[in-house]
Parts: sequence; C-alpha cells; structure tokens
Amino acid sequence: MIDAHAPSAPLLTAPPIYNEQIVKNFTIASMFWAIVAFLVGCTIAAELCWPGLSMGLSFLNFGRLRPVHTSAAIFAFGGNALLGTSFYVVQRTCRARLFGGSAFADFIFWGYNFFIVMAALSYVMGYSRGQEYSEPPWHVTIFLVVIWVCYIVAFIGTLIKRAEPHIYVANWFYLAFMVTVAILVLVNNAALPISMYSAHAYVAYGGVQNALIQWWYGHNAVGFFLTAGFLGMMYYFIPKQANRPVYSYRLSIVHFWSLIFMYIWAGPHHLHYTALPDWTQTLGMAFSIMLWMPSWGGMINGLMTLSGAWDKLRTDPSLRFSVTAVGFYGMSTFEGPVMSIRDVNALAHYTDWVIGHVHSGALGWVAFISFGAIYYLVPALWKRAGLYSNKLVAWHYWIATLGIVFYMTSMWVAGIMQGLMWRAYDKFGFLQYSFVESVSAVHPYYIIRLLGGLMFLAGALIMVFNLIMTVRSPSTQVVGRSYPAVPGGALMAGE
Amino acid sequence: MRERERDMADTGEFFVGILVAVLGLVGLVLASGALDDEIYLFGLSLAGFAFLFDMMLVKKHYDRADAARVKVRHD
Repeated sequence: MIDAHAPSAPLLTAPPIYNEQIVKNFTIASMFWAIVAFLVGCTIAAELCWPGLSMGLSFLNFGRLRPVHTSAAIFAFGGNALLGTSFYVVQRTCRARLFGGSAFADFIFWGYNFFIVMAALSYVMGYSRGQEYSEPPWHVTIFLVVIWVCYIVAFIGTLIKRAEPHIYVANWFYLAFMVTVAILVLVNNAALPISMYSAHAYVAYGGVQNALIQWWYGHNAVGFFLTAGFLGMMYYFIPKQANRPVYSYRLSIVHFWSLIFMYIWAGPHHLHYTALPDWTQTLGMAFSIMLWMPSWGGMINGLMTLSGAWDKLRTDPSLRFSVTAVGFYGMSTFEGPVMSIRDVNALAHYTDWVIGHVHSGALGWVAFISFGAIYYLVPALWKRAGLYSNKLVAWHYWIATLGIVFYMTSMWVAGIMQGLMWRAYDKFGFLQYSFVESVSAVHPYYIIRLLGGLMFLAGALIMVFNLIMTVRSPSTQVVGRSYPAVPGGALMAGE
Repeated sequence: MRERERDMADTGEFFVGILVAVLGLVGLVLASGALDDEIYLFGLSLAGFAFLFDMMLVKKHYDRADAARVKVRHD
C-alpha cells in the first residue's frame, strides 16, 4: 500500500553517480562470449554430423569442446549478462553507487573472466572433472569462490546502503541466484586433491550419492543461474522497455518464494530408473510438476506487464526479444515437468529431446531475455539517442527465432525417434535396432540442428555489428542535450 | 573527482591490489611445484593476471592524479 504521508524528499534528490563502467565491461564481455559460445556450439554440432572434423586432434574432440560450449553459454555469456545487469539494477533501484569502489568491481569483472578462460583451457587440455556444468578442476573452482564472495559482498553492500526503503523484486531474484549458486558450487565441488600441486582430486561423495548431489547441483544451476537470475532481468527490463509497471507486484513476490522453495527439490528427476531410491525419484518428479505453478505465474506476470502496451511489439523489436523470451520461458517450464514424469522420461532420457528442451530454454529464454536487456542497455550506458538500426534488430529477431525453431523441432523428432528405436522389440523379443542404426537415423536432423545453430550465430553477429555502430555511429549521437532523455519506464521498475 | 572520493578510491585500490598480489604469489607457488601441466599453466596465468591487474590499478591511480592536476591548473 502506498503511504500518502511518506516523505517525498528522496525522489527529489539527485541520484548518485553510478558505476556504469563496470556494467559496460560486463555487457561487452557478454556479447564476446555469446559469439564464442555459439561458434563452439556450431562446431560441435558439425562434429556430430561429420565426426572426422575433429581431425584426430585431442583439443578439438567433441568431449573436450562440449564443456567449452556449455560453460561459454551459461557462465560466460549468461554469467556476464547476469553480473552486469545485476550491478545496473541494484544501483538504480537502491539509488546507491556500487559498494566497494571501482577497483573492487574491476576485480570482480576481470577475475570472473579470468576464471572462464582458465576453465575453458582446462577442458581443452583434458582436465575436466567430468560432472556436467561442474567441470572446472578444484583450483579453478576455488578461484571462482573468491570472485563470487566478492560479487555477493558488492551486491549486498549496495543493498545495505540503499537510499530507497524498499528492495525491488528484481533484486530478490538476483540475490537468490547468487546465494544459491554459492551453496551449490561449494557442496557439489567438495573434493580432496591428491596434492596441492596437482589438478586431480577425489570427489567427496561416491556412487549414487555423488549422482544425487551432482543433479541437485545441476538442476539448481538451471533453476537459480538460468532461471532466477534471468527472472531478475525480466522484472526490471520488461517494465522499463514497455513503460508499464509490473502487472502484479504481489504475484511477483509469490512467484519468488514459491519458485525458490520448489526448485531446490526437483533435481532427482534427472535420475529416474537409476540406483536412487524410488521415493527420491518420485519426490523430484512431484516437485517438478508443482513447479508449473510458480513458473507460469511468473510468465503471466511478465506477459501481462505489457497490458496496454502490446502495440510496442510492432515498433520496438528489442522489446519483442524480451517478450518472446517470456513465451519460451513458459514453454520450456511446461516441457520440463512433462519430461520429468517417470513414464515420459523412460522415452525421453538420454535422447536428443533433452538437448532440444535445454536449448529452447537456453536460446529462447536465457539468450533472448539477455539480448532484450542488452539492446536496452547499450544506448542507455553509452548515452546514445537510440540503437543504430531497429531494422537490424528485427532481422536478428527473425533469424534467431527461426534458428530456434529449426533446432527444437529437429531435436524433438530426433529424440522421440531415438527413444522409440531403442525400446523397439521384434517378435522374438530381441532389440529391433542396433544403436548405430539409431545414430544413422538421426543424421539428417543433426544437420537441421546445425543449420538452426548457424542461424542463431548469424543473428548474434548482426547484433554485435548493430551495437558497435550504436556506440560509434554519428547517427546515434544525442543532439541538443548532454545525455539522452530518461529511458522509458524510469519509474516503472522500482526506481 | 573530489579529493575525498579520490582518497577513497586510492584506499580501495590499495586493499584490492594487496589481495590480487597475494593471489599472484599463490599462483607462483603453485607453478613452482606443479605436478601437471594444468596447475603449471594455471599458476603462471594467475601470477600474470595479478601482475597485469595491479599495473592497471597503478595506471588508474596516476591517471586520476594527472586529471586532478590538470583540473586545478584550468581552475
């Protein structure tokens, strides 16, 4: 409820000088790593079509390049986007300069990107831990922990010294992302190195316990890195772009608490039909299905924020990215629970359907919401009148969307076909197909997937060109005032 | 930049610089006793990262001091 007698003085004081350089750095790094991630993704997609492409070189092997692709997409592209936007959002919604000073922020930026380079090098050298999304060796992880603690200190420090009484909901999502990721990394990476001078270490857990903890980590990396953090982005940037307040602030709070409570239990659905006790598998499945509720609540909140501003989708292609992202969020959070149902999982698990599902989330949700935010941020940060070309944004949008459609549909068909072929029996009770027959059958779909990936990469290259021109072109210079007008929705997202 | 802000920036840079220098030393220790290529490369890279980062802080300090001197001269 708004208190009519609340002092209005804070709104009248000039905002502090925000640390925008750090947000610029993270934005540039995010786009750089996006290109790397998509390029490596296309390379390994091509290797799956034509395995001879690795030329027998160990560092081009699919097994070594795959974690480079996933880490570059999630931690490098997504991570830099999250860290950058979180620093942008927390400063503005708290009306406070980033805590810790610019040297501290620089350390977080350069340290985080140093971690990414070191992790990627360790994978191509063959030193992966072999646990999905948790591949970096122990010493690289310890370095990450140092950086992550600094990140949390900078964020929470800014929250503590805020000039606004209220903590805007986007900050809650960012906070859940950073705190939970810290816990997940610490627990899942518990290991005993054979020597402090060796990269090899023994994992603290054995057998099915290790699998359970790995997928508790793995699924919550999806839930808190790829979902909660980007929801923070959604709750700030969509109201800003649409120039509308969040549809229901109360729903956003319900969304927050229900999402973080339920997500943490869903991991065991990755381990159906394994040595994990049945009740644990069922628990994971049940919580995954329950997740429909908060996920769709959040999606509806994001979409309905456009009430009265739907026409902007025709004129503002960068908002189109953000809104389509929310659509993909709804779709992949529907598909995920379906796939977690034990009987569906019997067909889907270990097939390319899972890869299609992951990419509908990663490309449709994570990448699109980041693109929308970055298209908004670049003119605002570099004090330009607007983007260099909205037409290029529209081209990017359609090429990337078509690319995702190619990717997802090919993987659906390939995955369901694989699942059916693996479970087909002849009249004598023998398997009807050998494994290699299923590999051969999916070959055309792998080529379609590669085509989808190349289209997504092409769209991202268009974006990079557009952003560089936005910063450099005289056509985007602000004429007549020292900085551009306050971007639309200045008062719509907790500011 | 006001003098107080400059002092605060210098203090922040000092502490961050020390932290990074310690990390760089750890990197050198790791590289010196490395039993495999991975630790050797990581250790040397960490030391290199620390050196470059601290040089960047030193440069920023003098850039700021220069800017302040120029501003005083113009005022």
